[in-house]
Amino acid sequence: MGDQPTFTLHIDQNKYLPIDGREVHAILTINSTGTVTTESATPAEAAEVIIIDTSGSMSGGKIREARAAAATAVQTLRDGVHVAVIAGTDRARVVYPNGPQLVRASAATRAEAQRAIGKLSAGGGTSIGQWLQLAAQMLSAHPNAIRHAILMTDGQNNERADVFAAALARCEGAFVCDSLGVGDDWVPAELRKVAEALLGTFDFVRNQGDLADFFRNLTQTSMSKTVAELVMRVWVPQTATLKWVKQVSPTLLDLTGKRTDVNPLTGDYPTGSWGAEDREYHLCVEVPPGQIGSEIRAGWVKLLRPDTQEVFASGNVLAQWTDDLAQSTRINGKVAHYTGQAELHELIQDGLSARAAGDVDTATARLAKAKQLAVDSGREDTARLLDKVVEVDPASGTARLRKNVDKADAIELDTGSVRTSKLRKNGEGS
Amino acid sequence: MGETAVPKTEVRCPVCEAPVLAGDSFCEACGHPLGAPTCTSCGAPAVDADGYCERCGLRQPTGRDHAELELDGGTAGVTDRGLRRSRNEDAMALLATGTQTVVVVCDGVGSSPRADEASAAAVETASAALARGVSTEEAFGLASRAVGKLATSVDDAPACTYVSAVVEGGRITLAWAGDSRAYWLSTGPRPTKTDPSADTQPVATDPPTVTRPVEAEASTDTRPVGVVPAAAIRPAVTGQVVGTQLTEDDAAPTGEITAWLGADYGDVRPHVRVLEPETPGLLLVCSDGLWRYLDGYTFPSTGSPLDMARAMLRHALDSGGQDNVTIVLIPLGDAHG
Repeated sequence: MGDQPTFTLHIDQNKYLPIDGREVHAILTINSTGTVTTESATPAEAAEVIIIDTSGSMSGGKIREARAAAATAVQTLRDGVHVAVIAGTDRARVVYPNGPQLVRASAATRAEAQRAIGKLSAGGGTSIGQWLQLAAQMLSAHPNAIRHAILMTDGQNNERADVFAAALARCEGAFVCDSLGVGDDWVPAELRKVAEALLGTFDFVRNQGDLADFFRNLTQTSMSKTVAELVMRVWVPQTATLKWVKQVSPTLLDLTGKRTDVNPLTGDYPTGSWGAEDREYHLCVEVPPGQIGSEIRAGWVKLLRPDTQEVFASGNVLAQWTDDLAQSTRINGKVAHYTGQAELHELIQDGLSARAAGDVDTATARLAKAKQLAVDSGREDTARLLDKVVEVDPASGTARLRKNVDKADAIELDTGSVRTSKLRKNGEGS
Repeated sequence: MGETAVPKTEVRCPVCEAPVLAGDSFCEACGHPLGAPTCTSCGAPAVDADGYCERCGLRQPTGRDHAELELDGGTAGVTDRGLRRSRNEDAMALLATGTQTVVVVCDGVGSSPRADEASAAAVETASAALARGVSTEEAFGLASRAVGKLATSVDDAPACTYVSAVVEGGRITLAWAGDSRAYWLSTGPRPTKTDPSADTQPVATDPPTVTRPVEAEASTDTRPVGVVPAAAIRPAVTGQVVGTQLTEDDAAPTGEITAWLGADYGDVRPHVRVLEPETPGLLLVCSDGLWRYLDGYTFPSTGSPLDMARAMLRHALDSGGQDNVTIVLIPLGDAHG
């Protein structure tokens, strides 16, 4: 048999519950070395679609930078990867190759693709849902490949919210998509929806001159993926409820609504493709009342390949009832840390929404609290951005919203709030 | 549409609840292995190799927390921590020696130190003595001395209750002290004749001489003291198991026991009783963790003694499992015809 897959799953939790304790929290840390040899032992195929916004707002310097960035991405693809380039306006158009099929990357096809990209010009509207659906359609010809798309946009989506949502729903599970927003006229909430639906990241390219670097990094990360699609299979007892499953590191991503039932006690949650990386997940299980001293398996987690049912890692989330308060009140450091990171994200999102809606009191309170939490949890960058939006008097603690906030600062704060910090070493071991 | 009703006896997968065929090794719907060990809590046959129930999640008790024993003749015992105690201080011993079956059950006295050691020492000493032919009284005395030796002072005296049963050729010899009990469970027609040296009393008709009804009423504890109340005993129709208490508790009206094995009691003497049931049935030897829940209980009437003991344990746990539970069943006569 080949090498064993090198995934590890580690569970951090305090299993002890007080007599009336019902909620079990656990942080699952999954590490992958990336050098996975699966039983099927075929090298992972990859399929990459590059989606460039060519709407009217892109004209001028932005379309030049976008052409250069897309060319960089194509240049970064390794030989043999299936590739296509889509130009997006109020409709989606394949600019390379000439037809609906992806082509294998080679010196020749990479040169052809770059020539096609060089001819891109700006004009028209923005229909992100249509772009993604064309990508999904083209990638469906490569069901066994690691399917990925990079989407770049600079503007607001012109599609109706329900049309956009339906388009995203149709693309779910078809590929992973990382998005980039350029300039200060795009809406983070729209790319957040893309990231949530398609299990990817979204980022803000503050200086358009950096666009090529972002494309190169995303392409390299995608090329480093070695396992196409893994699911997290979670069992909970018949009398328990799985309240949520969230990715909490490197970014926050709520998977709770993405469940596929396996049987009444077991569900699969998609995690997308994997390379060499660490991810952490937060599980919360509501268990029925238990008896002192008895221990239950409150959750049984397996990381597996849905096509072969091959299990790469597994672990138990436990619960044990005790009347010893010293045991039941001990707080697990990782659970507390990621609970705090999720709260920080919510405070920022609520605060920015309230600010946009003119609710100054709510915005001030939420953002001031977020700033304190950011400082406390080592999120210096987030604290610095919050400081540009809300001013807190260090002596009195009085907070007020700043006037004349740079729009890019607000976008950066909004975009970056899903990122979480790792727990510092000195916070561990509680 | 009405024709799709499923038979009540249908077997279902313990995990996904899809109908499965008796004898199948795996559920066709979810692939779960069938015929796995039974969970001590929810009763689903779904305990996996790691010892967790795949339906309710409970980690199955191990070691002294839960133990089961079964002898060749069908005699079977289960002992369990219950749901409210941090450890199992009951102990049991089951031995078959040629023609004899020897059973000893002891319940560590909760207010004494190291009560688990007391019960373990008593069952080990007494069962070994009985198996080598020592008399019931002598075996009791050896057990009492073994428990007494565990004490470092009168203030540090491990203690336990005691009930022993020796079954040989249809004759039952009981000895006890404290509130662990023996019952006769008649599985055949109502007994019509009792051994002159003793008596089995079908409680439903004859007011038992061993009953102490005053205690039950005066008790602040709600558990029954004395005999199974008549209300608990159903008429002896075919297939119905009738239970009759054979032992008399050493207990005060408040429920505290008035006799035990331990250095702080001194020279404890056992009650002894001999009887020869006329009808087939089972001898039940148990700790108070079971009998406190027998009021109104219908004893199981099918399955092996081990199955029946498990069913009785589940009843005790379902009823609250306040104390450690030990249940031993010894079949006599043609109990399973």
